[in-house]
Amino acid sequence: MQWQTIFKKELTEHWRSFKWIWVPIVFIIFAIMDPLTMYYFPIIMDTVGNVPEGATMDFPTPSVAEAMIMSFSQLGMLGVLIAVVVSMGLVSKEVKSGVYELVLSKPVSFTNYITAKYVAILMLIAFSLAVSLLVGWYYVNILFGTISFIQITISILFFIVYFMMILGIVMLFNSFLKSQGLVAFLSIITVVALNVISSIYSHVITWSPTLISDYINVYFYSGQLETEIWFSSVSAVAITVICLITATITLKNKAID
Amino acid sequence: MTLMSVEQLTKTYQSTNVVDELTFSLEPGKCVALLGPNGAGKTTTLRMLAGFIKPTKGEIVFNEERFSRDVRHYVGYLPQYPVFHNWMSGEEFLIYVGQLAYLTKHEAKAKAAELLDLVNLSDAKKQRISKYSGGMKQRLGIAQALIHDPKLIILDEPVSSLDPIGRREVLNLIRELKKDATILFSTHILNDAEEVSEEILLMHKGKMIKQGAISEVSETQGTTSIHLSFGEEPKFIEERLKEIDSVFNVNREEDGFIVTVHDINIARSQLLDLIKQEDWELTRFEIGKTSLEDIFMKAVTE
Repeated sequence: MQWQTIFKKELTEHWRSFKWIWVPIVFIIFAIMDPLTMYYFPIIMDTVGNVPEGATMDFPTPSVAEAMIMSFSQLGMLGVLIAVVVSMGLVSKEVKSGVYELVLSKPVSFTNYITAKYVAILMLIAFSLAVSLLVGWYYVNILFGTISFIQITISILFFIVYFMMILGIVMLFNSFLKSQGLVAFLSIITVVALNVISSIYSHVITWSPTLISDYINVYFYSGQLETEIWFSSVSAVAITVICLITATITLKNKAID
Repeated sequence: MTLMSVEQLTKTYQSTNVVDELTFSLEPGKCVALLGPNGAGKTTTLRMLAGFIKPTKGEIVFNEERFSRDVRHYVGYLPQYPVFHNWMSGEEFLIYVGQLAYLTKHEAKAKAAELLDLVNLSDAKKQRISKYSGGMKQRLGIAQALIHDPKLIILDEPVSSLDPIGRREVLNLIRELKKDATILFSTHILNDAEEVSEEILLMHKGKMIKQGAISEVSETQGTTSIHLSFGEEPKFIEERLKEIDSVFNVNREEDGFIVTVHDINIARSQLLDLIKQEDWELTRFEIGKTSLEDIFMKAVTE
């Protein structure tokens, strides 16, 4: 019951700060930007470019898989950034402003506090990802060719698992830092580091959670789901759980100074 | 029967004892003032009692037989600078914290309405908290502390940041609350303590330097002061006053002298005898009890 109270309050707060509106819109822009510009590139060049008379330019139209991957990779970079920004203050802002003190003077369980906030923001991000990628999929289907609904749905679900881990990392930094900027900075550094390490050693740590997007790409090219994507997802969930448990313990042990 | 007893409560930050071995107990139905200059460790003490910082050492026992759950179920706490979710209305916030304290939505609503009435915020209950004035926020803060009918209400500097009207309102509210609950509030303003509380705890540099009923504390001092003023100041008056054996100290004030004496009955007749004998032009002779301020100053500078 207490969990639902905090959860509902979070949803309301996200709603009143218009996050439920602007995050999906920004995600949609990220998802359709590249496929659309690629498709209309020749026309755009014709209208605005100073192409010399008689010059012929051949732009290879991207394949369906390539177009869809563009949507995913945009969200994999800019989308992560937005996800970090909307969640960087979830706990740290409340601790810094002092609301945390009032909330905590009631018999609030730290587990409820952390997990309710986490699930609320995850819902917002998962919703935004699903909507934006479905819009992206719609345009790709019209402009480039067919991708099945099953395939896009499975891809979106795995992509959400990747974002689950990112939000878990942000929650962890939230629990022991008061500065929102520092939370965002360290979260992004961590995600980038994970990405770099796993792409260097991608043959060794095939289960790395940051390879989920690579496996989704392969899925679009081949139509076959790699087995490794399951291991990557399990490790993403494991990291999320560890982050949330650590965040709870950190908050519990921390005296408010 | 005690409501809460505290033994050797200590909190250490970076090897300094911010709170140093406090031992005291709170009786139900009393209003207790925790006094001390800034930095005495009052806020840290209150936070430990409210159950959200862990003491480094010592024990807080909250009526051990009857209550064994998390102490926060029985304690209402108002921090020194209460901060709310400014995007909520006053009513929404009260319902929110009520539900956090395990009231049902229905109970929380009913209690919120009752408290908004008590703290005189019914007219502003639909307004966003960001629009509230300082006094309104303080009253909302008190209301949120009361939402779950706590046995002990802890208020950290409830009146220090308020203007005289706000201060009066909050003091009246405390007087009202005293009827049903135990109140512990901190302040560095002695008048407030004298006005509403029966007992005081006096802290300085983390240590408890005095505790007890106000009347007791002022009596243990064993001295009383007499305020004297004269139309035309007699010569050598300070020396003459000091010669009297019951006089303990003489302080020059702007409008006369404060004479501190051991035994008021002896001192009164001795002083009046002297004045009559010398035919001094007396304009004021006032016997006043030692004020908390005197106790405070004396204890702190010792």
